[in-house]
Amino acid sequence: MSLAKVADARQTARRVSAWPDWYVPLCSIHSLRYCEAASGAAANRKRRRLFPEKRMSFTVRLLGAAFGVLALAASGRAQAPKKVDFAHDILPLLKARCAECHANGKYKGSFSVDTREDMLRTKGVVSGKSAASEVIKRIVSNDPKVRMPPKGEALTAKDVELLKAWIDQELPWEPGFSFKAGTYVAPLKPRRPVLPAVQNGHEHPIDRIVAAYFGKHQVGTPAALDDESFLRRVHLDLIGLLPTPAEVNAFVQDTATDKRGQLVRRLLNDNRAYTEHWLTFWNDLLRNDYAGTGFIDGGRKQISGWLYGSLLDNKPYDQFVRELISPTADAEGFIRGIQWRGNVNASQVRELQFSQNISQVFFGINMKCASCHDSFIDRWKLDDAYSLAAIIAEKPLEIHQCDKPTGKHAAPRFVFPELGGIDAKLPKAKRLEELSRLVTHPDNGRFSRTIVNRIWQRLLGRGIVHPVDVMANRPWSEDLLDYLAVYLVDRKYDLKQLIEHIVTSRAYQSRPVAIAQEPTGEDYVFRGPEVKRLTAEQFVDAVWTLTGTAPAKAAAPVKLPDFGESVPAQRRFVRASLVNADALMRSLGRPNREQVVTTRPDLLTTLQALDLSNGQLLSETLTRGANRMLKADPKAPNAQRIEELYLTALGRRPTVSEAATANAILGDKATADSLADLLWIVLMLPEFQLVR
Amino acid sequence: MLSPTSNLSRRDFLQGMSAAALTTLAAGAPRLLANDEVQHPKATADTCILLWMAGGMAAPETFDPKRYTPFEVGVPSEKILCTFPAIDTVVDNIKISAGLENVAKVMDRATLIRSHVVADLGHILHSRHQYHWHTGYVPPQTVAAPHLGSWIARVRGPNNPAIPAFINIGQRLEGVGESEELKAFTTGGFFGSEYGPFNLPFPTDAIAAVRPPKGMTAERFEARQQRLKELLKKSPVGELARDYHHESMLRAIDNAHRLLSSKERDAFDLTKEPKESLEKYTTGKESRFGHGCLLARRLTEAGARFIEVTTEYVPFLHWDTHENGHATVKRLKQEIDRPIAQLILDLEERKLLDRTLVVIASEFSRDMMVEGIPGSKAVDQSRAKTDVMKLPIHYGLHRHFTGSGSVVMFGGGMKKGYLHGETAQERPLVTIKDPVRIPDLHATILTAMGISPKTAFDVEKRPFYATEDGKGEAVRALFAK
Repeated sequence: MSLAKVADARQTARRVSAWPDWYVPLCSIHSLRYCEAASGAAANRKRRRLFPEKRMSFTVRLLGAAFGVLALAASGRAQAPKKVDFAHDILPLLKARCAECHANGKYKGSFSVDTREDMLRTKGVVSGKSAASEVIKRIVSNDPKVRMPPKGEALTAKDVELLKAWIDQELPWEPGFSFKAGTYVAPLKPRRPVLPAVQNGHEHPIDRIVAAYFGKHQVGTPAALDDESFLRRVHLDLIGLLPTPAEVNAFVQDTATDKRGQLVRRLLNDNRAYTEHWLTFWNDLLRNDYAGTGFIDGGRKQISGWLYGSLLDNKPYDQFVRELISPTADAEGFIRGIQWRGNVNASQVRELQFSQNISQVFFGINMKCASCHDSFIDRWKLDDAYSLAAIIAEKPLEIHQCDKPTGKHAAPRFVFPELGGIDAKLPKAKRLEELSRLVTHPDNGRFSRTIVNRIWQRLLGRGIVHPVDVMANRPWSEDLLDYLAVYLVDRKYDLKQLIEHIVTSRAYQSRPVAIAQEPTGEDYVFRGPEVKRLTAEQFVDAVWTLTGTAPAKAAAPVKLPDFGESVPAQRRFVRASLVNADALMRSLGRPNREQVVTTRPDLLTTLQALDLSNGQLLSETLTRGANRMLKADPKAPNAQRIEELYLTALGRRPTVSEAATANAILGDKATADSLADLLWIVLMLPEFQLVR
Repeated sequence: MLSPTSNLSRRDFLQGMSAAALTTLAAGAPRLLANDEVQHPKATADTCILLWMAGGMAAPETFDPKRYTPFEVGVPSEKILCTFPAIDTVVDNIKISAGLENVAKVMDRATLIRSHVVADLGHILHSRHQYHWHTGYVPPQTVAAPHLGSWIARVRGPNNPAIPAFINIGQRLEGVGESEELKAFTTGGFFGSEYGPFNLPFPTDAIAAVRPPKGMTAERFEARQQRLKELLKKSPVGELARDYHHESMLRAIDNAHRLLSSKERDAFDLTKEPKESLEKYTTGKESRFGHGCLLARRLTEAGARFIEVTTEYVPFLHWDTHENGHATVKRLKQEIDRPIAQLILDLEERKLLDRTLVVIASEFSRDMMVEGIPGSKAVDQSRAKTDVMKLPIHYGLHRHFTGSGSVVMFGGGMKKGYLHGETAQERPLVTIKDPVRIPDLHATILTAMGISPKTAFDVEKRPFYATEDGKGEAVRALFAK
């Protein structure tokens, strides 16, 4: 058989039956179990028809001898599983034939199939004993008054056997799965909460809400943060850089009553430093980078220039998002996504990436599941994911369920249709414009809530809604979340004003709470800010601040403005956020920006500690830095070096005892080695690596 | 928090590690899903060594020889199935390709799978197929998928806590083509870097990764650590000392230091190997792969859990033969033949082979004519296109073939001298018997390592399985028992 004929046969095969399944990856998102379960019994049966035990004869007939051998091979795998598979065999059945009347709030005859426990508790089944189970008696009954399900045809003999076997095998269940939907429904419309009365003289609106919350939860007000700690924290949080010793001294000595507010405004007005700090957050969130996956063959486009300029101008957040969704050429990289080379699962084509990213980034909605099938974990459906994707599609977008075409096409629709529709007849650019309007619609409270929650998480260590990408979860304070969202809108989406508002609250200016173990979920009670780990960029920037070893050139293709006049010399350098990730930054958690990243791991791991302990990059940087420091100021006494180091790195003076040890480390006369050692030791202190 | 001396017993170290692991667990790392269905099988291996033939090892030129056609000007390309003659092995029914004479002598310890079938991902990009092979998932993924080694590290933990559980030998991640793509799967993924690879791109430099930084004496290194402890004690952290961020940080620093001062460190040092032994793994001037095999043996002796040794992926180099395939493969065989055989013999001599699973694999095979699989839309990427042989550069398998491939397994509970699967004798050289797909191959490896292929972790509220969709099934026929 010639190659051409083989190819023809293959094409025929593709049209008629699809490839033998051992050539084709299955569901790329995660799990075919879920795909099949989600597709329901009908689709399940259809699948069985397409990929049955009979595949051999089916394929042989079509393809003739050359590929008959393939089919033979494939048939070798098609053995019926001995164990009943809940997700494949049972869940679709329950969903199609039982759930309508016996799940998610409707429990006819007091029988519930919500969970395995519910099925046992409501006495529909006896584990291990199908013969004694009411469900089996009912489904095989010939009496129309007794028979279940009452509507439609009776279950097939095969389905009955499956259910019996499942019960006899003690009802294996998919862990965590329940038919019952979550009870909390996140509201869409903005809401302006009534502020509680002022307590203890804290007039800041955030503190009025938090004080009422503390009262309700019987939590004491956390202790106030001292000046030195506040200075270090707010510097790192707002511009990502450490304060200089002069700034520490000046701030501590400043007697102005509003010195904290003044400091906050000064930092936020340092546009360049602010931009280059928050660039990290936005690059992660919008998966923008200067090199990396996808750039190899032009499958991806940067938005660096636009992003940098937008942060520098403090572009109002609604406008910022409108420009991302309905972009000019310099901002289009975000909605274009990544064009992967080769075949890609239907759920990862660019239109679906668009749908997933818009949903996750701006609304904290996980559309990843629904890109493949109706989601099991929330209310989003396949149709929702595709309708959003259809907005950007150049031509009619065929809906694929678990990578298989359904023959149906998606119509453009926004995730919250109550805010307005999108005319399918409009050209793509107009549809995107319409979408950008709906995303930022004044009645779209989800939009403002999502961003204020992200900012709060960055500043206080944990979101009001946690995790930040599941905005359908209940916030620990709806009032606070709604208040901040409305505040942002009232201030015309000015993110700097929002940040200023948060960091001038007593809630922010409290000492961090020590938490022995990360709280896991619903029982979380806010007690105060949490410590945060320095990001990779903050860590590296701090090293460069201390040692003056920053690189000469940025990798980001952006136009860097001059430093402001008041910017101290120690802070005039090319920041880590502007260069490509090196081994150290990568090790410390700067992500490969292939996926949207909204939070980074907050614990140091052993391999990271190893890189810090003997990694060549840090070690060389510290030696180079120590040499530079000695050369710049050869005669500085140890005490001065130690004090400057402590003031810069930790934002405080060393205690007498610390100074003595540090002095012993430096030796009679500081050398490059001894100074590098002291630098390293200070960098290893949790007090340095954490924002407290 | 930090121990008073660095000379700790393994038991202490183990406790330190598990405490760190527990903390990591508590801190929002993915949770293991309790699943009634998941019952870990009894392990038949404690260590897994993956010998990775990066770039697409042509099965017909190595472990699945076909009709041999010598080079001759004018021979139609279509006639050529392979460019080396077959040789006998110590197993009657197994022949392999000339140039692998040493491996041929140890095939009685091997299980040879000739029916490994990988996915056809359309336009060939090696790193995508390598991603698929190493993580079990086709890229792109919406979450960061962990490497097979990370799964094993995460579920089984370190074999000896003083040796990182997942060691990756021979691959540079900086300065080579597709390096970002390589990093995308050379990772602990959603498990975090605690379970990520310990990268040793140059075997002879491996010791540098576990000793004080260059230019620092052991004394200074140790003194620095002692001073750190002193300043830590004096640090006025107050109640935050019991904060989990704070505690885990100290534990990680402590663990790193213990690794850097443990006696097992010597395992990383190839200069500690007797000269005649080093010779046996030396195949040429550089011998990176050979030395990688030797390092793998030393680390296995010291108690590693998962080791990958690669011939290194660099686009268009080594197994990535887009032209001049015959000559390149001839050289490659010379680089791998003796070291692989020696590794098997050494492990056997040390009575380690029974509990060490050694796997030779590649992202796909190669063919003279077919790109991808027959009928695939993949773009032909041969750089030596010709209808008939004209120059030696034309002679070799220059197209990426996904219809079949060879995998060899030694030890770790697998059969000995066993052949599994079969491919067609004429083009297309597709699998015709007992196909083994990636999920099933992974399931086999995981099962040997005592890990259920259905193991799942909760990631963004979804289950993420050790084998794609939890469906990988170990190929029972490969196991000795």
